[in-house]
Amino acid sequence: MSTASRQQGGFVEQGFREMSVALAARGVSKSFGGLKAVQDFTLELPTGSLRGLIGPNGAGKTTVFNLLTGVYQPDVGVVELGGQSILGLRPSKIASLGMARTFQNIRLFGELSVLDNVKLACHVRAEQSMLGAILRTAFSRNEEAAIEAKARRLLQLFDLDDRRDEAGRNLPYGDQRRLEIARALATNPKVLLLDEPAAGMNPQEKLALRALIRRVRDEFGVTILLIEHDMGLVMDICEHITVLDHGAVISRGTPQQVQEDPKVIEAYLGVAEESEKQ
Amino acid sequence: MPTHVLVARAALPFLVSLLLALLLHFGVARFLDDYDRGLVMSVGINIMLAVSLTMVNGFTGQFSIGHAGFLGVGGYVAGAVTYATSLKLYGDLETRGSMLSGTSLNVDPATLSWFGQGDLLFVASLLAGGCAAALIGYVVGLPSLRLRGDYLAIVTLGFGEIVRVLIQRTDKTAALQAWDRVHPGVPAPEGVSRVFAIENSVLDPATGLSQTTYTAVSDANWFEIAPRVGGSLGFSAVPDYTSIFWVVLFAGVTIAVASRIKRSTFGRAFLSIREDEIASEAMGVDTVRYKVRAFVIAAFFAGLAGGLFAHFKSMNPNEIGFARSFDIVIMVVLGGLGSISGASIAAIIVTLLPEWLRGLDQYRMIIWALALILMMIFRPQGLLGVREIWDKALWQGLVRFIKREKSSPKAGGGA
Ligand SMILES: Nc1ncnc2c1ncn2[C@@H]1O[C@H](COP(=O)(O)OP(=O)(O)OP(=O)(O)O)[C@@H](O)[C@H]1O
Ligand SMILES: [Mg+2]
Repeated sequence: MSTASRQQGGFVEQGFREMSVALAARGVSKSFGGLKAVQDFTLELPTGSLRGLIGPNGAGKTTVFNLLTGVYQPDVGVVELGGQSILGLRPSKIASLGMARTFQNIRLFGELSVLDNVKLACHVRAEQSMLGAILRTAFSRNEEAAIEAKARRLLQLFDLDDRRDEAGRNLPYGDQRRLEIARALATNPKVLLLDEPAAGMNPQEKLALRALIRRVRDEFGVTILLIEHDMGLVMDICEHITVLDHGAVISRGTPQQVQEDPKVIEAYLGVAEESEKQ
Repeated sequence: MPTHVLVARAALPFLVSLLLALLLHFGVARFLDDYDRGLVMSVGINIMLAVSLTMVNGFTGQFSIGHAGFLGVGGYVAGAVTYATSLKLYGDLETRGSMLSGTSLNVDPATLSWFGQGDLLFVASLLAGGCAAALIGYVVGLPSLRLRGDYLAIVTLGFGEIVRVLIQRTDKTAALQAWDRVHPGVPAPEGVSRVFAIENSVLDPATGLSQTTYTAVSDANWFEIAPRVGGSLGFSAVPDYTSIFWVVLFAGVTIAVASRIKRSTFGRAFLSIREDEIASEAMGVDTVRYKVRAFVIAAFFAGLAGGLFAHFKSMNPNEIGFARSFDIVIMVVLGGLGSISGASIAAIIVTLLPEWLRGLDQYRMIIWALALILMMIFRPQGLLGVREIWDKALWQGLVRFIKREKSSPKAGGGA
């Protein structure tokens, strides 16, 4: 208690900020060999915000997610979760500190049932010991029951409860994407990173997804950063958008501002022209 | 639910193992001859090995191919403990067990207690063997499981061979010596032809020749006796404590522990690593830590199995080489990567089939290799896949499959 309030106090003194920052990246760069995938990337997500990260193919968006979640270590720069640096931590540690994500190329636990996919994500908050699980102590049994209940609640919210016994890989594409979000939420994240959640969905599913993402933000109080190529969806639900091109931020602001920014138009049109030429 | 019901439920699989062990030991085993009893024990030990390896190769999806090394570590450590302790405490290698342990079937039960001091020594030695194997498992697993991919296979392969070679190089001279070598010129007491003594070669500075002297076991240090595990000749001096009771009990405990882990939040953590390591890590599973945990637990149970093996057959460096490791991998793959019951069934088949098809013994490597290839073609997930025979989903799947087979001609006609 006391440490938390002291930290918060210190934070306010340092920055004089009205809103606390859930996730911050400052001056983050990453190169792969000669390729500068991300250059001097800076981003602040105020707690409870729903923001977007867009850019043409290969702009470095997924690499940013990998840098934020500890899959890659930045060459330079700082990443802070809740005011605490998370540089050098394993992805699992970062997840336990409150960051969860989904993957652009879906990464479900294919052989596991839909229910077990979500239950696994509750593991990071589990407190029982392995010996307790082997002896099936009252504590372990109660915790398993709580995990089951939590997973079922999430599946109901995502309309997946009827399919809970099916193997994850047998779900239709759109359901797999939603299951990934449900799974990420089961880790009790403070910050949720969604990498192209609408990819491969049909128009109805995309509409439902808009409502779902808003609902997740409001009901779970999570801060959301979203990568998406579907501009309708991004412009509709994001309060603020950062645009990346060739690894560098070229624009940021409200959907309106970003849409009218000539640099953004050029970046996207340039890509369109290139692909037309080919 | 009332507390005592919950406690009973928690203890149920362990109680069932105990009851089954007693039933087989006192009921069925009396009607078997020595050979069949030996088969039952071999099956039980192989079940322990297969189920423990399932936790690594099946649950976490790693590829360990040196499991027999842990059998060796556990077996030699447990064997050395009972061997040296028996000599130090009793001055001989007789078993001091009970109706529950090995020799009891050949002895008048009326003379035996329910639990002898030898049983205590035996169980302690098994635990020592298990813990030694677990410790080595940690040392071997931690560095290799940090690295991705096939490193574990290479390291475990090398580890198994290192254990075998090191054991081959241990002291061949057992502590059992002929009376007249130890006491030349002294007439032996009635009925005594051999004594326990440690043979030492000492260089005589006067003559420059080596001289053989003997130290009575009672004067020898514990650490002088324990490493005399027979080298390439094998370690046959281990007292025979292992019985159907102990094997069935420990096999039951192994299965119970593995299934409890599998069904718990830890089991899901293990399986998630095998399904997708990156996603698993992103969901908060410290994949290195969990891979090491699975590896250490598996090593522990393989070490226990080794202890049972040592007090049943004589330990031998050839028993713990790559061929043995390969057998265990086959059981796990045939049974279904991740299936405890599948691995157990496969362990039974792989143990008994060569016994029944004696004539084919020389072709067994070929037969298993063929079986594996056929399995890969027709049922790559193994006998049961990741499921268990007690899973509802397995049977539901089977019912669905049969129904579909039946209804498909009709559906075809309609379309
Ligand atoms: N591990 C890696 N090794 C080498 N190059 C990489 C690696 N990961 C990404 N890249 C490169 O970095 C650049 C940015 O890739 P990234 O996946 O971040 O783009 P993106 O914005 O997510 O694109 P898309 O919209 O297609 O998903 C690409 O040129 C890609 O080839
Ligand atoms: Mg991407």
